[in-house]
Amino acid sequence: MAVILPSIDNPGTSIEWMIFLARKYMSMFLEGTKLTLYIAVTGTLLGFVLGYIIGIIQDIKISPGDSAVKKIFLRILKVAAAVYVEAFRDTPMIVQAMVVYFGVQQFTGINMSPAFAGILVTVLNTGAYMSETVRGGIGSIDVGQREGAWAMGMSPMKTMLYIVLPQAFKNIIPEMANTFLTNLKMTSVLNVIAVQELFMAAKTVGGNYYKYFESYLVIALIYFVLCFVFNRIFIRMEKRLAGRSDYVLAVEYMDNQ
Amino acid sequence: MEETIISVQNLSKAFGDHEVLRKIDIDVKAGEIICIVGSSGSGKSTLLRCINKLERQTSGKIMYHGSEVKDVQKEINRYRSKVGMVFQSFNLFNNKTVLENCMLCTRKVLHLTKQEAFDRAITHLKAVGMAPYIHAKPAQLSGGQKQRVAIARSLCMNPEVLLFDEPTSALDPEMVGEVLNVMKELAATGLTMIIVTHEMAFARDVSTRTIFMDRGYVAEDATPQELFTNPKNPRTREFLSRYLAG
Repeated sequence: MAVILPSIDNPGTSIEWMIFLARKYMSMFLEGTKLTLYIAVTGTLLGFVLGYIIGIIQDIKISPGDSAVKKIFLRILKVAAAVYVEAFRDTPMIVQAMVVYFGVQQFTGINMSPAFAGILVTVLNTGAYMSETVRGGIGSIDVGQREGAWAMGMSPMKTMLYIVLPQAFKNIIPEMANTFLTNLKMTSVLNVIAVQELFMAAKTVGGNYYKYFESYLVIALIYFVLCFVFNRIFIRMEKRLAGRSDYVLAVEYMDNQ
Repeated sequence: MEETIISVQNLSKAFGDHEVLRKIDIDVKAGEIICIVGSSGSGKSTLLRCINKLERQTSGKIMYHGSEVKDVQKEINRYRSKVGMVFQSFNLFNNKTVLENCMLCTRKVLHLTKQEAFDRAITHLKAVGMAPYIHAKPAQLSGGQKQRVAIARSLCMNPEVLLFDEPTSALDPEMVGEVLNVMKELAATGLTMIIVTHEMAFARDVSTRTIFMDRGYVAEDATPQELFTNPKNPRTREFLSRYLAG
């Protein structure tokens, strides 16, 4: 990247300043981009896993035939899931970051690295939203799909795993892509707990020359390019997952030959 | 006398205040082909769903080989693997091909090997004339084809009893015949079947016993000859006359 940017000694216009800052603090911006991507990707993926687990927990029906222990266990699990989802959906991520980071420090004495705390907050935040998406995705699958499996003796859990989730997954891919793009940008709030991501880089760089507009415009461009590229990748993935619309006749089983 | 497989005892079902089934008693013996007829809303489908435990009865019980099927998930699963069900809306797994539809439950519930499950699937798909379509997804099939696959899928479990919930009601008139033919062939094999249907000619010709349901009661339970030619219950007469006239 350094090669394609012309070197400027006396920046004057905003564009010149942007190029100047980008060149001078290239490694800082690159590190910021890397950390932003790392937190967004890890946080989102783990968040999806958490979201699926919570979504499935919320979908479990307590049947009257269950044992008392199982009933109580499921109740507690469901209440805990509901409280968690509500708490994280009803508070801003920037506040969650502060509460988690300083809370863990104060009550356990554990000093998390800012990056780790950043991932943790992203996972918790994503999990809460994702669980609702998963619940909706599960709800969008006709109950007949489940009944077809149940009627042949398949357990509700296996039915969920082999029949409902694969279909729900397909339906919520666009929403999952959305969540990832949101997270990619939301990592910017993590600068409040001193995560050295892109926003933090721009803040630092801008402060060195009092050129905030130019510095933030540099990362705006970086965010834009990242999101744009990922968006294209997701669209392609979705098309590929849609699968073939035709099928091959198994001629070996045609009986009129 | 043949052995009783399923025994429905004093079964009632209410949705809120609405009583759908009232004190139903039915014994199903091995080899019987029972057709349940009656007007819409008489509780036929609910009865079938209760027998498969897809609905929980309000009171009464379902006995299987002399012991009650309790509302414990494991027990229900085991029972269902022996008592299959074919639905009005087919309920084929949309994310699976025809072959996968027929292999999934034999693999995951009966734990057959891949080869065993495949052989079973092909045998039953051949029997219903759907073997050439093993690579197709349900969305690519016609209604009649879907229903034939659904029947093959249920047969792969080697059920003792197969329940049919209006298997031809969602089909074009042209496709009804192909499904009924498959069911007739099944009947000839001696499989025990309980069929909720509006196909009176089928009920008359194929069933060994016909049950007429009315407002949640079993109004009449007789041989098809008796029920169709000499119905005892005035409600049965009314229903049949309307059916034959319409």
